[in-house]
Amino acid sequence: MQKQLLEILSLIPKVQYADLRIVEKKNQNIETKDGVVEALASSTSLGYGVRVLVTGAWGFAASYDFSRSGIERTIKKAVSIAKESARFKTKNVVLTKQKPIKASYKTPVKEDPFNVPIKDKIKLLLEADRAQRVSPEIVISQSFFSANSEKKWFASTEGSIIDQEIIWTGIGIEASAAGNSDFQNRSYPNSFRGQNQTRGYELVRELKLIENAPKIGEEAVKLLRADLCPTGDFDIILDGNQVALQIHESCGHASELDRVFGYEASYAGTSFLTAEKLANFQYGSKAVNITADATIPGGLGTFGYDDEGVAAERTFLVKNGLFSDYLTSRETATELGEIHPGYKKGSTGAMRASSWDRIPLIRMTNVNLEPGNWKLADLIADTKYGIFMSTNRSWSIDDRRYNFQFGTEIGWEIKNGKLGKMLKNPTYQGITPEFWNRCDAVCDKSHWEVWGTPNCGKGQPQQVMYTGHGASPTRFRKIKVGVVRW
Amino acid sequence: MVGEQKLKQIAKDVLALSKGDETEVILMVSENALTRFANSQIHQNMEWEDLGISVRVILGKRIGVASGNNFAKKALEDIVERATELAKLQKEDLHFQGLPKPQKIPRLKERVYRSSEKLRAEVVNAVIQQAKKKNIIASGAFSCPITEIAVANSHGIFAYHSSSAADLSTIMLGVTSTGFASDVGPDPKKINPEKVADTALNKVIKGENPIDVAPGDWDVILEPQAVSELMAFFSWLGPNARIYYEQASCLSGKLGKKVFGENVSIIDDPLNQDSMPLPFDFEGVPKKRLEIIKNGVLKNLVYDSYYANRYKQKNTGHALPAPNTAGPIPIHLTMTPGKKSIKDIIARTKKGLLVSRLWYVRVLNTKQLSLTGMTRDGTFLIENGKLLAGVKNLRFNQSIPETFNNVLEVSRQIEPVASFEAELGISRMPYLKIKNWHFSSGTLF
Repeated sequence: MQKQLLEILSLIPKVQYADLRIVEKKNQNIETKDGVVEALASSTSLGYGVRVLVTGAWGFAASYDFSRSGIERTIKKAVSIAKESARFKTKNVVLTKQKPIKASYKTPVKEDPFNVPIKDKIKLLLEADRAQRVSPEIVISQSFFSANSEKKWFASTEGSIIDQEIIWTGIGIEASAAGNSDFQNRSYPNSFRGQNQTRGYELVRELKLIENAPKIGEEAVKLLRADLCPTGDFDIILDGNQVALQIHESCGHASELDRVFGYEASYAGTSFLTAEKLANFQYGSKAVNITADATIPGGLGTFGYDDEGVAAERTFLVKNGLFSDYLTSRETATELGEIHPGYKKGSTGAMRASSWDRIPLIRMTNVNLEPGNWKLADLIADTKYGIFMSTNRSWSIDDRRYNFQFGTEIGWEIKNGKLGKMLKNPTYQGITPEFWNRCDAVCDKSHWEVWGTPNCGKGQPQQVMYTGHGASPTRFRKIKVGVVRW
Repeated sequence: MVGEQKLKQIAKDVLALSKGDETEVILMVSENALTRFANSQIHQNMEWEDLGISVRVILGKRIGVASGNNFAKKALEDIVERATELAKLQKEDLHFQGLPKPQKIPRLKERVYRSSEKLRAEVVNAVIQQAKKKNIIASGAFSCPITEIAVANSHGIFAYHSSSAADLSTIMLGVTSTGFASDVGPDPKKINPEKVADTALNKVIKGENPIDVAPGDWDVILEPQAVSELMAFFSWLGPNARIYYEQASCLSGKLGKKVFGENVSIIDDPLNQDSMPLPFDFEGVPKKRLEIIKNGVLKNLVYDSYYANRYKQKNTGHALPAPNTAGPIPIHLTMTPGKKSIKDIIARTKKGLLVSRLWYVRVLNTKQLSLTGMTRDGTFLIENGKLLAGVKNLRFNQSIPETFNNVLEVSRQIEPVASFEAELGISRMPYLKIKNWHFSSGTLF
């Protein structure tokens, strides 16, 4: 494919800058519901995208058509589009300098998820599906598996030539119970299709779906008759899988520099982390250290190089509570340098496209709350009254990332340092910087896990990207809880 | 575009390759263009073309699905082989009763209109220039997709349809307020950028220096964009036969019963030329107008072949592409209009809030169909029949059944609203005035 890559690149006429990506995606998806394999599907997609910078403006065209005429048509279209973009421009696009890179990267996996026999996967999922049915009140039992491969070949007119293969695996179960005029769900190991990591089938084997399925079924049934989560201002401890989404929504998206500069205003919105706040804003308490790290083994946002050919890196977005950096691209890093002349960094390597037919956008890599020093048992013992909440059920945040409201599948009351009765329908609400400034304790590395978010939407046309979030259970003081009338 | 005859031949070739007891093939061809602007200039500008082929092979009651984006003979062979191998590995689905048989499909007038990068840049520039006159920053997108869909199966179904859409939307950014507006239709040349810009700019100017209002229960007037955002959740989780029989729908067990207020009638209207009509579903079954809610009474659920067979009901033509784990979904919803104009409805409102659109709407509880989300890009306080001031955005927590039981007025205007830059079609919605809509908190802007 590299030969074809260079051939296409050679057909691009002289422009300020151009890059080319050939992408081949492969997916295997298996889903069961109520003992039936509802989805057994295999999909592939292959194509290329050409991005050109002409007289300071971008053009992009993409096609499945690898014939000579198709390639020439696509390149011509990209250049023509860039010229039209330039007609009404008020400012030139300027990219940070980038040394040419010639490299290869492949996700290290112990067991290729595509190579495990499909009949073994079906057997596992059906057994996990059946094992959830611990009561007649379980009305839906589901299990999910996906194997994903994305091969990318990147070349730029600056001389970079990079090939990568990202492999990731997803696995999970979900039980739904109905009764007592209620309907409740429980998922394992996380909601919305479980856990997803850039790992192979070893992830599936480690998670022991069948062994965990009865507990999930039992909890779903118990929730039907559990007390409602109370309303008031309480201390809360969020489980790692919920902290992961809290980071994603209230820090990850807020620190995307394209949002800050208004480039996403027409859809996803802007950000309260405006440029003057860089190194000058107490985003959270001193317990809050947030990194963007595309190098963590197994993280769903782990890769070798981004889609501008910038090497994966680790960056502190928040250090000891102080807002420290953004997720950036080569274009936005230049703009940030114009506002903050002391900002000399290049791109933080966050530009990714969801496929060959989309332009790269600033996307989260693995955005993580770094581990603290607490053991979970000690943290619960240290909490006089509070709610422990686990596993996301609903999430929503405003278009500048201030007002959020989250709900979880399950909660437990904490009373005098002990975990007590189960609570249903837990919800909490806050304003992002106020919330993170109420964080006073983060659990340690032994509780820390990188959760995958495979469904992050952004951009027009919509792009769905896969990101990761390292997190451990975390405590927040005096938060508005039970904000929904049921 | 590939064209009907060529797609028919490809479908025939695929069906001939399959040794399945039954086989279905879906072919899709798309030519897309989208010009995006921010900070009053074009910053993302693109065109992309793709093919899609999805093959469902059935061996007895075992089903495998494979897909790809290449129509070459070798690629078609590979897809059929993959689908067949998967079917061999499958377990039997005892509820599966077979693919649909051919029925007469209504032939719609096909309207395919192309855009060019020049036209898109000029339309966008017209919006930007209007904004510049008021010293306001313009952002937005102009999306122009062209799509061909063909569905065929081994029982003799062949259905083909082509269409185009044009969706211009803008968000204007003032210092203290924002405003949204859009225009959508089949022809990019008929989009009116000046009107879109003016509508959004008026919202920005009227909404300057927004005031805080207390969360709580408010009478609200939802504009068509906001109604459409709520209706998307109703279409997914309301009359969907799968969700209904799983007891997970707020409508479960209520067929034939009154579920909403008498002034609420919801129709799936797939052949209406003012939307993005589609004469058949993704199994090649003809679509037709279907009353879902009539004067508040649940009249019909929507079915695909699987759920129609399983529950011994008539297939309503609402299949999505296989493998579909979401169930059948109506994608052309509209409401029966009322008698008053939106101007009159506002004029008769003593105190309330006008909501232009909603943002980040998510399900709180499936069975209750309760939702949360934010207001966005134009929320106004109405007092004594007049828009008094812009208000800072609010978070709502509200169920669909409560909402549709509390409708005070349905406007006589019905307006088209695009879903996902018109890639998912166009719904047609009225303005709704609703009593006691619950807001639980506010934000800082």
